[in-house]
Amino acid sequence: MEFVQNFPFFSILISLFSGPLCSVIGGKAARRINLAVITVIGAMSAAVLNFTIRSGEAYVYLMGHFPAPWGNEIRVGVLEALMALFFCVVMFLSMIGGSLERTLEIETEKENLYYVMVNLLLSSLLALIYTNDLFTAYVFVEINTISACGLIMIRQNGRTIEAATRYMIMSLLGSGLLLLGICFLYDMTGHLLMSNIKEQVQLLHASGDYHIPLLVTVSLMSVGIAIKSALYPFHAWLPDAYGYSTLSSAAILSSLVSKGYIFLLVKIFYRVIGFDIVRDSKIVNVLFAFGVVGMIMGSVSAIKEGNIRRMIAYSSVAQIGYIYMGFGIGTTAGVIASLYHILSHAATKSLLFVAGSGLTDASGDSTSFFDLTGAGYRNKLAGVAFTVGSLSMVGFPMFSGFISKLLFAQAAVDSVYYKLLPALIALALSTILNAVYFMKTVIRIYTPAKREEVQRRGFRNVTVADQKAKSVALVCFIVLNMALGLCSEPVVRLLREGLEMFA
Amino acid sequence: MDAWILLPVFLPVLAGVILLVSLALEKRKKGEEQPDREPGEAELHNLHRYVAVALAVSGVLALAAAFSGEHSVTLFELLKGIPVYFHVDDISRLFAVVISIIWLVVAFYSFVYMKHEGKEQRFYGFYLIVYGVLMALSFSGNLVTMYLFYEIMTLTSMPLVLHNGSREAIMAALKYLFYSMCGAYLGLFGIFFLYKYCDTLTFTAGGTLNLELAQGNITILLIAVFGMLIGFGAKAGMLPLHAWLPAAHPVAPSPASAVLSGVIAKAGVLAIIRVVFYVVGPDFLRGTWVQTAWMTLTLLTVFMGSMMAFREPVFKKRLAYSTVSQVSYILFGLSVLSPVGMTGALLHVVFHMVIKCALFLTAGIFIFRCGETRVEQFRGIGKQMPKTLWCYTFASLALIGIPPTSGFVSKWYLAQGALEAGVGVFGIVGPAVLLVSALLTAGYLLPITTSGFFPGGIVKHFGIEEKHEAGSAEEASVGQSGQENNSAAQADAGKVAETNRKADSLEPVPEMLIPLVILAALAVLLGLFPNPLINFAGRIAASVL
Repeated sequence: MEFVQNFPFFSILISLFSGPLCSVIGGKAARRINLAVITVIGAMSAAVLNFTIRSGEAYVYLMGHFPAPWGNEIRVGVLEALMALFFCVVMFLSMIGGSLERTLEIETEKENLYYVMVNLLLSSLLALIYTNDLFTAYVFVEINTISACGLIMIRQNGRTIEAATRYMIMSLLGSGLLLLGICFLYDMTGHLLMSNIKEQVQLLHASGDYHIPLLVTVSLMSVGIAIKSALYPFHAWLPDAYGYSTLSSAAILSSLVSKGYIFLLVKIFYRVIGFDIVRDSKIVNVLFAFGVVGMIMGSVSAIKEGNIRRMIAYSSVAQIGYIYMGFGIGTTAGVIASLYHILSHAATKSLLFVAGSGLTDASGDSTSFFDLTGAGYRNKLAGVAFTVGSLSMVGFPMFSGFISKLLFAQAAVDSVYYKLLPALIALALSTILNAVYFMKTVIRIYTPAKREEVQRRGFRNVTVADQKAKSVALVCFIVLNMALGLCSEPVVRLLREGLEMFA
Repeated sequence: MDAWILLPVFLPVLAGVILLVSLALEKRKKGEEQPDREPGEAELHNLHRYVAVALAVSGVLALAAAFSGEHSVTLFELLKGIPVYFHVDDISRLFAVVISIIWLVVAFYSFVYMKHEGKEQRFYGFYLIVYGVLMALSFSGNLVTMYLFYEIMTLTSMPLVLHNGSREAIMAALKYLFYSMCGAYLGLFGIFFLYKYCDTLTFTAGGTLNLELAQGNITILLIAVFGMLIGFGAKAGMLPLHAWLPAAHPVAPSPASAVLSGVIAKAGVLAIIRVVFYVVGPDFLRGTWVQTAWMTLTLLTVFMGSMMAFREPVFKKRLAYSTVSQVSYILFGLSVLSPVGMTGALLHVVFHMVIKCALFLTAGIFIFRCGETRVEQFRGIGKQMPKTLWCYTFASLALIGIPPTSGFVSKWYLAQGALEAGVGVFGIVGPAVLLVSALLTAGYLLPITTSGFFPGGIVKHFGIEEKHEAGSAEEASVGQSGQENNSAAQADAGKVAETNRKADSLEPVPEMLIPLVILAALAVLLGLFPNPLINFAGRIAASVL
């Protein structure tokens, strides 16, 4: 066994233990430790990715060399390593981009607690990505929920406490359903390790026993995770949680936390149940329907929203809808499109949040849509970045959003007839709705404001030198977006290979 | 290796990016206090030389790429089975050559014109980039590559519209962006369907539609194609997505309006040609409701554009409406799906490009020299700038289609094509609408000539804002053009005397006039000797129909 194979385990461990460490040191040191941890884990994930690409197969890592069912297992392939690397990159950039807001919005003596939460969140995300054990996954789902609540609540005002409470209730409902599903599976199969469960489920499916309980289990787990990742009718917690929390929380929550759950769902589909069984169970059709509705309704809500942060948040509802629509198509191509959209949306949404905050900085910290008039001139880089993010969301070629739309459409035209039309119509409608509210905002930020109005409100110009960290983050996000949009073929190939290894 | 055919794409893009980057660096160095400092004469001269050399070299490379036989090159795979692929065929040749010539000619004109607009470096940066993108668009070998560069063209040409930064310009640019994107998405969703039902998205004369696969899904495919026609028609100013054009073209600086109206509107035509004749195949559309709807829309646009132009008092807006109408002539020629009609359409692509550029350059000279923008203010202008107005008149005659100018040839073929295509009532309605529209064209273009040369009553003297320019222009009119460039010092010295001597002449400097004369002469000469072009266009039409 090569040394690099230990890295996934190390990275979970490092992030897990750096959390408590941050609780006993000061805010500044905690911040440095946090950035260092993310960097180190990112580098490790890159090494693991390199290793898995070279070896061409996934490997199973036994923690402490105890074989299952006594020990705990990690399973690593290209897909997992790629996700881990990507999550680290996005998290790193979000943390840099939001550093200014954190010093302003978080009480100084509580600052180190924020990094506790972030480190725990990272460890739970990594665990969700790597673990091969259903119950471990559940444990880290809970850690994830709690730290996400902390991230929302750390900026203390009435709205965030309300938002965190709401998030807690909805999220716990989701976890509860997931737990029920896991219990049923344990009851039926007698295993908690994913590969063992899959064997048994295949047998059950072949024999036709426990048909209905199996169906119920899959639905419970899907609905649980759908609630946690804010699929359309379960999205009520989302706009407040993303809209009022501090910037880096919003960026991380929208681009990573919900994606971690979705990745767990992919894992359940492929590694616990088996995708063909899921497809036969018609659950995917339900997900497809909800995804399509979400694509439209999320955009409609975003159009009606007058607060830019909440608008970006509502747009997430639509994008989550895309991802579930991809699963719902029920083909490998659809899942690959969804996985690509996970990456694309993570890169774009955090870009939009950071750029949006750059624009509000230049508008007297007002998030109201009308106060943003001319903000693109007052903060040039943020204006450009917001435009890039919007174009990507709308699906302009060169940016990542275009490739995901292309992949979704390809998957849709190759699928069954009754899904082809709804999928394409929803894509078309949602694209146009996206264009309506994103282009409306771009037009707004580039509409020159009246000079006296700017003076009266005391809006100031923000230059790159004023916000170095945020500018670096913005530029990196733009580059990431364009890299995904122009060099998509290698990424898609990795996703395809990874998915083959994954199952 | 055929990769060198991408040089005319990358070279101007690179040159443009260098300009923009150096501009940004310079701004940073100078600090924010004086960002809008006017560049000195020598600096400008260097800039012009740089742009001219970059354009000339890439133009030569483009011609070489176009005329050295069949080339194809795959750049990289965007997605599996969807490469970014370039291929040079006859249509590419036609567009690449004409665009290159126009782009170079207009660049020379703009060297003088842009002095009064300012921000030259930014303008030329984007001007070069758009040229590269247009070359890529012409050389695109499959539908997705074309779509990619189509969208990039929208984005990179937007700064040309935005140039003067006024509120009106920004609104117009955003309108342009919004319409273009909505149009392009309609096109994109069509591409998704074609991807499923076509053997390949690579352009193949006559189409690649797999009729066996399409069996049973004809209706949906027709809807998709119709969406693509509407969508790509947005760029060409076809109803119903035409409203951006009269807003966006006039607010740009005149050289930019010229290329926007003359060239970029044709990109929509190119896209439609590629979709209809090289992917879907004309046989699939013949006789369907899509063809009928398409013909109806184009004829409506032809008529409506002319009417709006007729009613419009602002000169550049009038020309923009005229573009709406004229580009739909081309689309009508395509929509009848007959070889003669398509020949006419391709001819009109070339002729309209030349003529509309000439007209916009005239408008630019009027604005530049007397600062007037409305048509009724041009009374008596011919007394003071006869050469300009003569060029305008020739270009107008060509656009109306009076023999022996170029417009006559293309309209002849368009009408012939409609008559013999066997499209029922459209065979008669079409030529009739074309005729009515030609009358309207005469109605909205010629009054400027008549009132310009024969004002009647009191003649207004146009203000002379830049007297030293008038001085050097006067020198030119005596015939000493060429090497005696209008060095500012020399002109300043003789300024007073010369203004007194011949205050009446407002003719622009030769650098500005010569491009106009070239274009106007082309507009006439192409009508006198159209045979090579007709043969070439006929060959293209025969290969796809």
